[in-house]
Order: sequence, then structure tokens, then C-alpha cells
Amino acid sequence: MRQLSEGAEAKVFETEIFGVKSVVKSRQPKAYRIKEIDEELRRTRTKKEAKAMLRAKEAGVEVPGLLALGKFSIYMERLSGKLLKDTKSKVSYAKIGVMLAKMHAANVVHGDFTPANIIIDGEKAYVIDFGLAEIGESVENKALDMLLMKRSVSQKQYKELASTYAKTYSDSKPVFARLADIERRGRYQIRSLA
Amino acid sequence: MLVIGIESSAHTFGVGIVDNGRMLANEKMMYDVGSRGMIPAKVAETHVKNASTVIKMALDKAGVTMKEIEGVGYTKGPGIGACLQIGQLSAKTIANALGVGIVPVNHAVAHVEITKHESGLKDPIALYVSGGNSQILKMADSPFKHYQILGETFDVGIGNMLDAFAREIRLKPAWGSTVAKLAEKGSYVPMPYTVKGMDFAFTGLLTYASSLAGKKSNEDLCYSIQETSFSMLCEATERALLLTNSDELEVCGGVAQSTRLQEMLRCVCKEHGFQFGAARNEYNADNGGMIAYVAERMLKDDRGEPLGRCDIQQRYRIDKAIVV
Repeated sequence: MRQLSEGAEAKVFETEIFGVKSVVKSRQPKAYRIKEIDEELRRTRTKKEAKAMLRAKEAGVEVPGLLALGKFSIYMERLSGKLLKDTKSKVSYAKIGVMLAKMHAANVVHGDFTPANIIIDGEKAYVIDFGLAEIGESVENKALDMLLMKRSVSQKQYKELASTYAKTYSDSKPVFARLADIERRGRYQIRSLA
Repeated sequence: MLVIGIESSAHTFGVGIVDNGRMLANEKMMYDVGSRGMIPAKVAETHVKNASTVIKMALDKAGVTMKEIEGVGYTKGPGIGACLQIGQLSAKTIANALGVGIVPVNHAVAHVEITKHESGLKDPIALYVSGGNSQILKMADSPFKHYQILGETFDVGIGNMLDAFAREIRLKPAWGSTVAKLAEKGSYVPMPYTVKGMDFAFTGLLTYASSLAGKKSNEDLCYSIQETSFSMLCEATERALLLTNSDELEVCGGVAQSTRLQEMLRCVCKEHGFQFGAARNEYNADNGGMIAYVAERMLKDDRGEPLGRCDIQQRYRIDKAIVV
């Protein structure tokens, strides 16, 4: 298997399953922590990630197709296309606002919603890496999703995104209110790398 | 340049003397936290009693007289207001009497910088862990040279969390060291674990562990709360190292004295081939030497302040402090 990327938690390999070109994201054991904590974190996070992906898909958001689930690994469809942060083609941020709105309406919080976790393939936009996703109603977490994206894009792009988010997600008001609140908190003022 | 540095942000009144980066003295006297923790007025009162003694101890150790001192530094913050004031007053009095330059120093910057100096690392990610602080830091150049906070605790510092738990099970709170001792004989009980990216939170863990007091053995609880909280720090730190493409890590602050935490962080570094560094324990604990060390560099960089502007700031965040 060829390794495609390595994050702090998991390694992603290129592989094939049922004759389909796929990727496998495998949570690696960490030698620094005791086995009890290590296995529990890897097992529950793998399960939670798969669950969040499925929920997002049910809510009508494009995500990589889930092919198989291991104890510490997830097999997914291999996407073509480019990461939003690397793409040079013009991208509709209105569409990304709709995706986030649909996820939040279904109580899926992504946890790391940045241009590094969106893949653009022609007209289609996919959300990837649900490794930090949470399922829940927390307004704070939803606002943090919005904040992270706001920090990573231009003002104009954010406006486009926020406007369709507000139109699509009926409960968006508290999210924007909380976002303003978070931005007022002192500790967020100088931090540039969220 | 012969510089005296005074630290008094919490339970330690420390005085250090440096000369061109060379540590001539690093003396201290501490308030005994006993089983009740720190009572600000009582700690300040102890500092008042100890101040002149510690200053004399440092001068004697360094083999210099007060008249030879060419500059003064003191801890501006973060810390307990009543305690900070005693160091501030001592420093201003010395500077005024001698007619030499004086500079306020950020306590957290001093911890990070002295550890960098001791370990020889060049541009490390710093995990700063003490009673009141738990932060992951990296040097940034804009808008001025400062330590950027990549991640930090959402609620309490790890040292205070471990101490609060120690009090819960009637151990003497001592920056996690009493918990560490019992932990040696414990086995694991599942505990809540809270990491969000490079940030973390400890109060959920504290509440849960406290709720098990008396139901599980103290050894097991100490082992589990320590392993869980240190794992959280390690995970957030590893993420910070990878996201910033750094290959050096230092750990500093009071809790950096924990051998288990150092062992775990060393393990994180080993896996990626990164350099790991820590200072000797006399610099991990609060001390005046680190204040003197940073003060000398700041004075040489013409960062001295007029006496009237030598204030204290209880919540002086590290990312507001200019580093030279």
C-alpha cells in the first residue's frame, strides 16, 4: 500500500477493495500513551468518524463513499479532484455554505472545516476528513466550524458562504450570535493559526 | 551586564543574578502551600518577610555587592496580584536607589526562554505547563516578535487540576508530585478525555475523578487522571509539531518536572525523529534566574521602562509580550 498522507492521528494509504480504487485511513497506535487509553481513543474515534460521514451523506452532503469499516480503519472511495486550498478554478462558496448548513441541520459538526478538507471535482464539492467531527446540537461547535472557515477564506468568499448558510439552515441565528461572541473573547484576538 | 531578576508571581520569591548570560545565583524561598493551597494575602505577607533575605542570599552567592548591579528585572505577570506587587516593589526600590535601568518581564516568556537556553534548541514548539498555565507555544515574527499560542487549556491549568484532585483525596497539593507518587502503584480506570485540535480541557476529568473518590483506590485514580491528562497534552502537542512542521520540542514550567510527562513527550519526539529538550528542575520551578536572564537581554535591547510605567498585570498573556 502506498502512503498518501500522514496526520497527527492517522495515516492514509492508497489501496483497492472489492476491485474499487480506494483509500484507507488507519489510526496508528501511539507509544506514548498506555494501551488502555490508546485503543479506546482509536476505536471510538474511528467509529465516530464513520458515523459522522454517514450522517452527513444522509443529509445530502457529498462525502467519500464509505466502503468498509475496521476496528481502527475506514475504507473509503478514492476521489479525484483537487483540495479547495490548492484548486485554481473558480469555486462557488455559496455551495459550501449550503453544505455546512445541511451538516449542521443534521447536527453533524465537522470540527476542522477548512479549505484543506474540501475537495473540488468539476461541479462537485466533497467534504472530507471527519476525524474531528462530533454529532450534537452544540451551538459553540457549530460556530467554531464557521469561524475556522471564515479565518481561512477572503471576506467576499465568507459573505457568500454565510449568506447561503443563513438561508439554508433555519437555526442559523444562534450560530452567528455565538460566532460573534467567540470572536470577542480575548484569547482569540492574536491567534492566527486556529 | 550584571542584572538582578526578581520573581514573585505565586508561592515562590526568587532572586537571580546573571552576568552576560551566565547565571551567578538563583536563590528562592517559598510559601508553604500546606493542605489549603495559596491564600493570596498570606503568600504576599510571606514574600514581604522573605524578600530582603533572598536578595541578600543571591548577592552573597554571586559574590557581588548591591552597588555593582547594573540593571533590574521583575515579573510583571501573569500571576497573583498581591504576590506580584512585592516583587515589583522590591525591583523598583533597587532600581531607584541605584539609578539603573529596570524592565518588566513576562513570566511565561521567561520559562520558555530559559529552557531554550538550557536545552540549546533553536526554534522549538514549547509546551508550557504549570499550576495556572497550560499552553502550546511557537515563536512568531509578526506583528512583533512574540510567542503565538497554538493551543491551550479551555479551563484550568494542569497543575491546578492535579492539585485540586490531590486535595479532594486529602493529599498535599504539590504541583502534581504527590499524585505522581501514588500513581506509580495504580492501574487504569477509564476517564473522560477532552482534546479539540490543539486545545484541551481538564475540568470534566477533574469532576469525574473526584466523583470516584472513595469508590476506587487512590492509587488507581491518581494513575488514571495523570495518564489521561498527560496523554491529552501529548496529543495536542504532537498535532502542533506536525501542523507547523517543527522538529524541536521543549517542555517548561512547574509540571515539566514530572518524569512521566517528560518520558511521554520524549516518546512523541522519538517517533518522528524530533529533538526534545527540558531545563534542569531549578528552572522548571518558578525562579528569579529566568527573570534575570530575560531582563538582561531586554535591557541590552533598550527595552527598559521608566519607573512610573513599571506596572503589574495579573493576566499578562504571553502573546502580548515582545520577545528579544
